[in-house]
Amino acid sequence: MPSTSLALTPGLASFLKSLKTNPIDTSIDNLISLLKRRQIRHSRSCATATAYLLLRVISACRTTDAVKLIERVQNVGRRLVAAQPREMVVGNIVRRVLGLIREEAEDDREMDFNLSEAGSESQPQTPRVPDDASDIPSARLDGSAARTSLTSMFSLLSHPEPERLLPGTPSSASPSGRVPGPSKDIRAEVMEGINEIIDELGQVDDQISAYALDHIHSNEIILTHTSSTTVQKFLLKAAAKRRFTVIIAESFPNNHEATHATVSGASANDEESMSTESFQKPLIAMGITVILIPDSAVFALMSRVNKVILGTHSVLANGGLVAAAGTRVIARAAKVHQTPVTVVSGVYKLSPVYPFDFESLIEYGDASKVIGYEDGDLVDQIDVQNPLYDYVPAELVDLYITNLGGHAPSYLYRIVSDHYRKEDIHF
Amino acid sequence: MTNPADPALASSLSAPASEVPAQQRQSEAPSNPSQPQPQTQPSKESGKPKKEKKEAKPKDTKDAIPATDGAEKLTGAELKKRAKAEKAARRAREKLDREAGGAPAPAGGPAAGGSGAGAGAGQPATPKKGHGQPAGGSGASGDKGRGLPRRPSGQTPGQPSPAEQKKKAEEKNVAVFGHLYGQQRRATVAGAGKEVHPAVLALGLQMRDYVVCGSSARCVATLLAFKRVIEAYTTPLGTSLSRHLTTHLSHQITYLSTCRPLSISQGNAIRALKLAIASIDPSVPEADAKETLCEFIDSFIREKITVADQVVAGSAAQKIQDGDVIVTFAGSSLVKQTLLNAHKQRKKFRVSIIDSRPLFEGKNLARALANAGLDVQYSLMNGISHAIKDATKVFLGAHAMTSNGRLYSRVGTALVAMSAKERAGGVEVPVIVCCETVKFTDRVALDSIVVNEIADADEMVTTQPPQQVTGLPDPAAAAAAAAAESSSENKKKASKTPVPPTNASPLEPNPALKNASSPLKDWRDTPNLQLLNLMYDVTPAEYVDMVVTEMGSLPPSAVPIVHRMSTSL
Repeated sequence: MPSTSLALTPGLASFLKSLKTNPIDTSIDNLISLLKRRQIRHSRSCATATAYLLLRVISACRTTDAVKLIERVQNVGRRLVAAQPREMVVGNIVRRVLGLIREEAEDDREMDFNLSEAGSESQPQTPRVPDDASDIPSARLDGSAARTSLTSMFSLLSHPEPERLLPGTPSSASPSGRVPGPSKDIRAEVMEGINEIIDELGQVDDQISAYALDHIHSNEIILTHTSSTTVQKFLLKAAAKRRFTVIIAESFPNNHEATHATVSGASANDEESMSTESFQKPLIAMGITVILIPDSAVFALMSRVNKVILGTHSVLANGGLVAAAGTRVIARAAKVHQTPVTVVSGVYKLSPVYPFDFESLIEYGDASKVIGYEDGDLVDQIDVQNPLYDYVPAELVDLYITNLGGHAPSYLYRIVSDHYRKEDIHF
Repeated sequence: MTNPADPALASSLSAPASEVPAQQRQSEAPSNPSQPQPQTQPSKESGKPKKEKKEAKPKDTKDAIPATDGAEKLTGAELKKRAKAEKAARRAREKLDREAGGAPAPAGGPAAGGSGAGAGAGQPATPKKGHGQPAGGSGASGDKGRGLPRRPSGQTPGQPSPAEQKKKAEEKNVAVFGHLYGQQRRATVAGAGKEVHPAVLALGLQMRDYVVCGSSARCVATLLAFKRVIEAYTTPLGTSLSRHLTTHLSHQITYLSTCRPLSISQGNAIRALKLAIASIDPSVPEADAKETLCEFIDSFIREKITVADQVVAGSAAQKIQDGDVIVTFAGSSLVKQTLLNAHKQRKKFRVSIIDSRPLFEGKNLARALANAGLDVQYSLMNGISHAIKDATKVFLGAHAMTSNGRLYSRVGTALVAMSAKERAGGVEVPVIVCCETVKFTDRVALDSIVVNEIADADEMVTTQPPQQVTGLPDPAAAAAAAAAESSSENKKKASKTPVPPTNASPLEPNPALKNASSPLKDWRDTPNLQLLNLMYDVTPAEYVDMVVTEMGSLPPSAVPIVHRMSTSL
């Protein structure tokens, strides 16, 4: 029974399989329903699914017009985000794809412009229509300004209005025949870019773990929480060279089974995660002493802990993070004991959203995990709560380690602005 | 005489049918000892036990004959010698048992003890010897029956020595807490001294299984059991009550502390009781003295706990106002009383209970409060930061208050208190501790590591996934399947046998799932993996705003003063 049902369980694997055969609209609806039903859960799975879907969307898009592509992706992205607003990685991937398209389009246009500029130099009078002439340079300037300003302070004050023109104006410009749209197909390049994003998603844990030896010294006692693969890989990498002790809080109602399986090395075949991950060795096989504790014992042990390493669900632009429930008290207890808190996270989890209402980020889970069916009489009488996520404010985190290296929480907004274009933040 | 011995031998030689369940109950049963293994293994393995038995058997039969017809022939000196040897053997066995605790009895242990008894006692085969033998035999059979499934390969070198076992057990101890792993908790009443009163025997097991749980409950239960001990007590000739009763009680206390380490309140109560015993004039007749002591116990319970609880609950309930949101952790009886008290006063407030694994004490509190009609919200440790967000007050129970003002209470309390004090909004929530002065101690604690109690880590393993309840085979479907099965294959007894290969697919996964659901089930055999199940933690004094006691509401810094006052009274 399990062997047959596993293959049929809706999830990332089945979605990716169906993606190749199903028509594109079916696939979009499929992913939306998977997200809504939470059959795709983990950040990485969501990100991967979104990236593959957008790849399909773009390859199926018959147009080569950048504007139409952007509109199409925005449209799909909006639906996906609406399906599961708390899975912020979905929005992140959509934003990055949008950024890719814009960049390619700008490159294209710039090249054209330069070509035409070079051509126009031969004849002093430009035969351009006035409105066209005013339009194109402004768009070009915006484009180049946006790109150069990524590393400059000027963009801090730049007005967002002109950039809104980009989706709109070139469409009016293209019919004029000035911009030779069909001449080059930017889709191939965009798809290449998406493939790069997918590759990044696959490698991100290894890239992060490359920094492990910079952060873990010998004989350390490290406390972590949940069965985050990023954290496990990070620790595994360090375990190859150093001897240390790992204390794992089991994160009881929502993730304890996975944690137990991770800890004991009994590979619970979690089809949510990518198949390769289930083959990783457990820490104990590397000779690392692993101590499993209930979540309640965190404060008692914190005085002996050297370092807290946490995984996360998503990271916000202000340096705070949304992570598995229980993370906040752990981070708080670490702060009280002056123990450094390190968060490992792929850049893809970095969200440009600055949420003013933290409450809206919190998802509540299945109450039956807290009080089982055997206590059914209680469920009628009391209000059982099972929050899935905690918001951890930035001041409780000392260090972020992403695939780009280590950063202070206050620096994160720079990384955000490197990865997402301003016009895509609210797409 | 030989009769008690023989069945044991027979059963231990054949695949033990009746012995094994008993043994398994004694140890935490290793999940289903697989059937084929005992059959293949004993051929290799049983070489040694068999030899032992061969040695034992002739000896036994030889001895049994003179014993049966000539027991009275033995001289007094011989009898004495034998009794001594038996006692020594019993002691050794007890000690081994205790060391092994709930874990698979050190394979060599009981058997060695048994054979040691045989060798040490020399020839004798007295009635007692008969009793000793089954123990030895069952030890050997236990080794065969349940030791084997644990060992993965057939190349086990005979019986692992107790030292090896001990080393293995130590590997499973968390290094920092090494000093807290004393002897394991007693698993059975076997081996308890004959001085221990049945009431105390029962109480010990109840405390071990958390049937009697909570500082005050344990204190009261202990005192009541001791009252029965005192009622049943007669002073032996040649001693006085005030001298001998203390030692008699200390047997009971030792027994209780092997079941579960004594709580601070128990310690305080016992100290008071011993003081009362010592202050009894030896000239007072025994009956009067016993009555005095019983009265003392009654008044101690009344004053220090029953009435104290009422006073604390009354004054703590006054701190609750309409519209309050009270957060509490786990299941303190005193907090329960407080909240019920406030509810009776028609105060409108909401209670948010935070609970933790593995004891889930908050569930009982939630049930009691919900039945009383309170508005209850329930979440686990992961929901602390959410529960504390709307809190206006935090009420906590105590296991003890240390002299440096720290709160020693169920593990997790510190996290709740910390969350209340370090709330994101910046507004601190008052943390109120409800505690009788009997829980005050002159001990001090800085962290939760030096002084603590470690519970059996296996408690963390047995998580019951909720699917199990729903996953039970539908009785109707099972019956139908059974009927279909019996019609097709009549030879099978449809009722119990793990029925149909066809039907197995829906039915089978459930037991499989039950076993597979806990990847930790053989954590003891997994190298480098340790489980830690702490009982208590220490909450810093700065997280506690107020301690409500029967002597008034105090800041935590007043604990040592009140403690001195209440003990010097």
